[in-house]
Amino acid sequence: MFSHVLLKVSSDRLWSFSSTASVAARSYSHGKQETDEEFDARWVTYFNKPDIDAWELRKGMNTLIGYDLVPEPKILEAALRACRRLNDLASAIRILEAVKDKSGPHKEIYPYVLQELRPTLSELGIPTPEELGIDKA
Amino acid sequence: MKSTMSLVKPAMRGLLAKRLRFHLPIAFGLALVAAVAFKFTVTEPRKQAYADFYKHYDSMKEFSAMREAGVFESVRPTGK
Repeated sequence: MFSHVLLKVSSDRLWSFSSTASVAARSYSHGKQETDEEFDARWVTYFNKPDIDAWELRKGMNTLIGYDLVPEPKILEAALRACRRLNDLASAIRILEAVKDKSGPHKEIYPYVLQELRPTLSELGIPTPEELGIDKA
Repeated sequence: MKSTMSLVKPAMRGLLAKRLRFHLPIAFGLALVAAVAFKFTVTEPRKQAYADFYKHYDSMKEFSAMREAGVFESVRPTGK
């Protein structure tokens, strides 16, 4: 279900990059298109699983990173809380690094995401790469 | 009124798609221009050069010249 795709677009959707079509897990254009809200809700539910295991966390994050989008702060919050349940601080910090990387040239995204995640980061005690000084080579 | 304390939400979806929609037509266009330019600056002059060379080419005359120069094994120069 969470198939690993970067940007698989069906031939007749090639140039119809509407706001609901940021991911296409299958290359067909029939069937109901998932809205952005449904997509986000599905991923929040995925990471909110109380007994999520380490594999599912990694799998989920890797799949999510494969999409043509920067995950919404609410998805990232659920993922960070999953890291907390799994006692995985390294993955939590890596998730922040991944957000910065996914933003590419759009430098305004990462500060925004940090702003939205600040309460969660403080609550869970997660430092940012910048605070650790590991954001520079 | 946007406050400098709170960042506004930027676009976070479809960023690659947007980039491709802009750059791919340019890429295809440039590739096409490169192909057309190559055709008219290289292949066509080359074809013309061959055509001009062979337009008045006398193969028997050239063969005789080579024969006399002694480069063949199958025929010897005349007079030998």
